[in-house]
Amino acid sequence: MLRFAATRLLRLVVIIFLVSVGTFFVVHLLPGDPTVAILGPNDTPSARAELLKQLGLNKGLLAQYGTWISNVVHGNLGASFLTKQTVANALGEAVPIDLELIVFSQVIAFVIAVPLAMVAALRPNRAFDQSATVTTFGLYGLPAFVIGPLLVLGLAVHGHVFPATGWTRLSQGLGSNLRSAFLPSLVLGLGSIAIYYRLLRADMISTLQEDFVVMARSKGLSTPYLMVRHVLRPSSLTLAAGAGINIGTLFTGAFVVEALFSLPGVAYILVQSIYSDDYLMVQGMALVAAVAFVVIIQLAEVVQLVLDPRIRRA
Amino acid sequence: MGDAADRYDRRGFLARGASAAAALGLAGVGLPTLLDACSTSPSPSSSRTPGVGTGTPRRGGTVTIGLNSEIDGFLPTASHFDNSGLTYANTVFDSLTRIGADGRAHPYLAQSVTANTDRTVWTVTLRPGIRFHDGTALDADVLVANLDALRQSPLTAQAVAPVSAVRKVSDLAMQVTCDEPLVAFPYYLSTQIGYPIALAQLDAANSTHPVGTGPFVYESWEPNDHFTATRNPHYWRPGLPYLDSVTYKPVADDQSRENALRSGSIDMMVTRDPNTIKDLRDATGFQQVADLTQRHGQTDMDFIILNTVAPPTDDLVVRQALAHALDREQIVRLFGAGVTEVSTSLFPPGSPYRPADNGYPSYDPAKARALVAQAAPNHGGTLSISLDTVTDPRLNEIIQAVGNMWQAVGFTVSLGQIEQVTFIDNLVTSKFVAYTDEMFAAADPDLNYVWLSSTTANPPIALNFARNKDPELEAALQRGRTSLDPSVRAEAYQTVDKRLAADLPYLWFSRATWSVTASDSVANFNHMALPDGSPDQGFAAGVATPTPIWRTA
Amino acid sequence: MPEGPPAALGAPPVGETGEGQALLAAATRRRSTRRPLGVVFWICASWVALMAALAVFASLLHLTSPTAQNYSAVQVGPGVHHLFGTDDLGRDLLSRVIFGSRVSLVVGFAPIAVGLLVGGSLGLWAAFRGKAADAVVSAVSFTVLAYPALLAIIVIQAFWLPRALWKLVIIFSVIASALLFVVVRAAALSYVNREFVLAAKAMGARTHRILLRELLPNVVPATAAFALIGVATAIILEGSLAYLGLSVSLPTPSLGNLINEGTGQNLLQSDPWITLWPALYIFLLLIALNLMADRLRAAFDVGEGRL
Repeated sequence: MLRFAATRLLRLVVIIFLVSVGTFFVVHLLPGDPTVAILGPNDTPSARAELLKQLGLNKGLLAQYGTWISNVVHGNLGASFLTKQTVANALGEAVPIDLELIVFSQVIAFVIAVPLAMVAALRPNRAFDQSATVTTFGLYGLPAFVIGPLLVLGLAVHGHVFPATGWTRLSQGLGSNLRSAFLPSLVLGLGSIAIYYRLLRADMISTLQEDFVVMARSKGLSTPYLMVRHVLRPSSLTLAAGAGINIGTLFTGAFVVEALFSLPGVAYILVQSIYSDDYLMVQGMALVAAVAFVVIIQLAEVVQLVLDPRIRRA
Repeated sequence: MGDAADRYDRRGFLARGASAAAALGLAGVGLPTLLDACSTSPSPSSSRTPGVGTGTPRRGGTVTIGLNSEIDGFLPTASHFDNSGLTYANTVFDSLTRIGADGRAHPYLAQSVTANTDRTVWTVTLRPGIRFHDGTALDADVLVANLDALRQSPLTAQAVAPVSAVRKVSDLAMQVTCDEPLVAFPYYLSTQIGYPIALAQLDAANSTHPVGTGPFVYESWEPNDHFTATRNPHYWRPGLPYLDSVTYKPVADDQSRENALRSGSIDMMVTRDPNTIKDLRDATGFQQVADLTQRHGQTDMDFIILNTVAPPTDDLVVRQALAHALDREQIVRLFGAGVTEVSTSLFPPGSPYRPADNGYPSYDPAKARALVAQAAPNHGGTLSISLDTVTDPRLNEIIQAVGNMWQAVGFTVSLGQIEQVTFIDNLVTSKFVAYTDEMFAAADPDLNYVWLSSTTANPPIALNFARNKDPELEAALQRGRTSLDPSVRAEAYQTVDKRLAADLPYLWFSRATWSVTASDSVANFNHMALPDGSPDQGFAAGVATPTPIWRTA
Repeated sequence: MPEGPPAALGAPPVGETGEGQALLAAATRRRSTRRPLGVVFWICASWVALMAALAVFASLLHLTSPTAQNYSAVQVGPGVHHLFGTDDLGRDLLSRVIFGSRVSLVVGFAPIAVGLLVGGSLGLWAAFRGKAADAVVSAVSFTVLAYPALLAIIVIQAFWLPRALWKLVIIFSVIASALLFVVVRAAALSYVNREFVLAAKAMGARTHRILLRELLPNVVPATAAFALIGVATAIILEGSLAYLGLSVSLPTPSLGNLINEGTGQNLLQSDPWITLWPALYIFLLLIALNLMADRLRAAFDVGEGRL
């Protein structure tokens, strides 16, 4: 057990390190530098040189990386060159938004996809299955920037139930927070439904063919009980793997939803920072997204191990 | 233009009179004189003028305003005040002068702005007793410190380049000396460089916490989420503001912003997208003010900027071909949503600076083809143009149409989408051939000097993005800047317009229209009296002012 | 909870040895008596083939050019002259959808094909080998997935000019390989310690034989489901990139930038056809592919029973 935890921790550290290196160097591949965004049209060569020195960007790349990573290890992620807001501060504002979006959207996705998959697997290729497939794929095939505005039109503009844009923080009231989170989470979740539905359904159909199921049925177990208690668990492997990856990439994958609803989440800030050469912000956001990904994947792996001990290694 | 020097002195007297009227309004005694002075001809209450409040102003309440962009900070010496920046500035700061409905610069935070006879020395006198939000006094020392900082900052130095010396002459007066006459100086004080900030913010170069003299006091700012400011109880304009607080929300996507307005999450919004403007123009429950009616100074223009020092657009014949091939009417018909108007001049109709015919090339594809045939041999046989724009659905379609028109006369065109920051960088460092752009809104033509002058067209960084060096144009710009005689100024800027139409660094297609739309319960969002009693210009070029707004019940 | 099928009962997973070779022969024999694919399969297959053919032979068809603008026929609804209508620049929508499908089909299928080849085989191999090899390759693929794809896409599309379809395909392929590696590995892991695999190993079977004969057939169902979703995701991702201005250069049509074009400028109200046709196309393609996958699974899955 301890060895397991140790190897996993090592892997986490290695991955984070590699991602940080990769991000750092790619970011510095971007043409231009922060002086453009800060000084704008008045970017004279002397002002530029002075500013670069101030920001510590005139040293070699390896030296800069070294400085940055040692700062990170000591808990200092730096600050934005433009707004001077600290990266930690920005993360503190952005991460809760994404966390809530992810949790809310995945709850919606699972609550819809799992029962659908169970019913469909029992009668594959029949009416229910076909219509569920068609509907979930219809939703999946429509990109977020089409569904989003349509939902907003219906529920926010005409219905006046939900706000069309913006995020109300938890500190300002749970009710308004949930209301402002609903539409973006719905749009984000709808994209996941088709995936989870198909993955779970595929595995369930396979499991239903196995003989232990026939045997259990012959023992007189009712279908719902059987499905939930005996079939769901061994069929969830691919779903767990797929969900892990899907959720893990949502920190950066939520960009379109964030842009649509004006939510200043991690992805949105990441993109803005990339374009303004705000290196430290980019590196900080990317690091956090990577950590989130690895942690979530790890959780998914644990779930898979619990579901099917056969894949556990000695 | 009249005798500008005397006019500013008389303002002082009128300003005191206006304050008395405002005090009356405060007490709720009948209709405030202020509003009487600036209301339009008597009309039944059912057909109100959008943005003009009627009845007694109601105190209290808050307004949430949706803006089209977020700013990078509140420091005039370091931040870039686009229309959103100037709107924020009007909330927590005040400008020394403001543009009135007559198109002239009137003293606002300043009590008077006077000049000597040849306009080389300007004296800015402040009103007594005004304090910043942190309690410090607004006096000449602070003003001098502000102006010195602006002159030293690389961002703003070019804009105040004509100023050679700044000094304090009394507790409340500052004197600015220029080597040459600077006729439009009062107009400069209505722009980014005219918003004084407290020494605490200036010395700390703090761009996240503004301390000004404005109607509202900074409360909180979360970039890209919201900016909130609360009522300044010690505001120097008696009775104002009416609201308890104002909140701004930047929403980049026009459709999202419109939805937010319609769904009630915001009360007011600014946009320059023609489709959104059209959508909201006749919407029930909302009032809209668009700035197409604004007829002063220079208008905001939609155009294509050509790089005059990079091939093949460095060849005048090529530029002429591109201009003749561009069917402006068609572009505006396809993409203007009936809101924008075609324009080939920097100046609106009726302006003294607008020539009767500036000679701008007409749409003539046959002529364009002939010019292409003429120029192609000098550029290796084919003329390749890359036409790029920012990521915006409407602009993307526009460049596809323009590219098509150019290809029809023989150009080889490649299209591209570039992100905003890179776009600006490329403009500044001359790494482009043809870009779409939108700018030039200015209360006085001299404010655009830096963007058009030959003196700012040099590598490596040029504010004159097109980098055109035209001695006749430069001479005309100088005449306009320094002439006291209005007829000389008029002739000078007419020459500017004609030279731009002949040299073609810019291919104009239309006037860019900005609008502000508010729900019916937001009253008086476009109607304010200046301290001297005359009406304020109101909303223009995307800049709003929250000072006169009140909420109806 | 039972751990797996009791060995004595019913049909074992393909390849379970005791008599490995004989059973394999039996399976091959069984193929000729399997359930037919059915009408639905063939309809879907024809549809997909038609879409592919249209895309490939687009220039040979007598279509108006997808980039030909016609200002006198702007925002026209479907009719005789323009079967699908026109867009805001008067361009024929039928033509734009067909030419646009080229980009989308390439962006959809090529990365997944590469991903299956590279990621899939690595996944089988890593699951089988275990230990250090598995740990290393897993770490690499997780690094690829943990890396913010947006950053790479922006850097390549916005700054490595000129834009080209193959550059986009490369990025997608790298990500697809990492994804499919994880999926195939996860699916294979449940079979790797089973008796038939251990038996094959004990019998001295070569690695690639085990991978191909024992593991691969068992991971196909789950992988196929995932791969098809991957195709859909890639096509839709291209649409999201178009929304951010990071897809193929204008004026090349792609289904993604057609949909994007149709949602701006209030066009959904005045000319919904611009968005509708490409969205419908993608929708039908996804359905067709998935119905085909289902039929294939049903046909090759041994002993499909019903509860």
